[in-house]
Amino acid sequence: MNIAGMGLVSARGRGVAALEQALEQGWVPPGEVEVKGLASGRLPVYAVSAETLSDKVVLAKARRADRFTRMAVLAASDALQDSGLGASVDKSRLGIIVATALGPHATTFSFLDGILDFGDAAVSPTAFSHSVHNAAASYIAMTLEARGPTLTVTHFHFAFHQALEIARSWLDQGRCDAVLVGTVDELGSVLHHVCGRMTKSAADGRITPFAFSATPETVPGEGRAFFLMTRDPDGAAYGCIKPVGGAVPDGGASLQLLDADGLAKDERAYRAAVIPGMPVAGYAPLFGGLLTGSAFEVAVAALMLKKQRRYACPVRDNPHSISLLSEPLTAPLSAVVCIKLDCSGRAASILLGRSAS
Amino acid sequence: MQDKEQQLSEIRAKLKELLVSNLNIEGVTPDQIKDDDALFGEGLGLDSLDAVEIVVILQRHFGVEVKDMEKGREIFRSVNTLANYVYETKQGQK
Repeated sequence: MNIAGMGLVSARGRGVAALEQALEQGWVPPGEVEVKGLASGRLPVYAVSAETLSDKVVLAKARRADRFTRMAVLAASDALQDSGLGASVDKSRLGIIVATALGPHATTFSFLDGILDFGDAAVSPTAFSHSVHNAAASYIAMTLEARGPTLTVTHFHFAFHQALEIARSWLDQGRCDAVLVGTVDELGSVLHHVCGRMTKSAADGRITPFAFSATPETVPGEGRAFFLMTRDPDGAAYGCIKPVGGAVPDGGASLQLLDADGLAKDERAYRAAVIPGMPVAGYAPLFGGLLTGSAFEVAVAALMLKKQRRYACPVRDNPHSISLLSEPLTAPLSAVVCIKLDCSGRAASILLGRSAS
Repeated sequence: MQDKEQQLSEIRAKLKELLVSNLNIEGVTPDQIKDDDALFGEGLGLDSLDAVEIVVILQRHFGVEVKDMEKGREIFRSVNTLANYVYETKQGQK
């Protein structure tokens, strides 16, 4: 399954160029939001700016869309455009899969607040229609005029991994010629509240993916990463994704990316998941902690394969003296594996290769 | 008389704020909406889904219901007609 194009929206901007710039630039301090009830009163976050989301052309048909959907539409549209296949893709055979951990929870809670505050007869119908998880996928389909199958996968930890395997099955079965697969998760007052109480906030704003701490620190983030997947061998601009595994492979790659972003209760299991002798990297400090952050690690891996360039880890605290990618390096790179663990230490890995062989 | 005009003016201002914020009307500020501008069609470009949202706005923020949507066609013509409906209905509730 080949990656023909990518589209990204994050606190570091929009598009592949913004991703590359962030990787070259490295870590930058997060912003802050006020959160009532927290001792500090403030929470560091990597939030997407309103400026990043202002695109009247792509969002012309999305006036009513909430932030969750706007980000999804922009990233999906960019992935199609980045592939250069926009005109040649048969829109009746273009599938869409949105992976999310929490869905449009800000709108969902706004809708519920409406019921509590005003009664069920005076809730906003727009808030209701946008509170369902498939709203973003529907907007993407409408904006891109895609008429293939559309699906939203919701899972707390491995939504993206499942979405990739569904995309692969659609392509294998011949249901689609191309599938837009992406993740969407947003920050909002509810998540600020939850993160402020359930996670340990990184006081200096730095996520440390290689601390492998029993009490990891995080900075919540938000964003979207979409990929145009195809079987077309000419559509492998960013390499290919091999079958997604439920365990860490013991070989086949020359670089491993850890999606350790401090959101898990305990990240010590990542230490055991590190493949011995293989350099390690992790880029969560650039985008913040995201339950669907694996998509950003995959985007970084895909860009590395395309550019044949390894980008230095943005935060290089290395108390366990693992083989860290601490300097950028332009050299042949054939395969990268992205590893994610859930709160129970269960692993999922995504192996990307320069070619399908 | 002056009291009525003042109340209508306040209702119009509040309505304009609510329309812009609740209907996600981009590139338009409340000040730019004229009292007699058409809300639907070639005016602000609102559509039937917005009409339902306006019903909710009136209910939530003014405690006013629009039970007969046939009347809504005239009530929803402009900010002025909306404000008049809100004012008259609230007077009737006293």
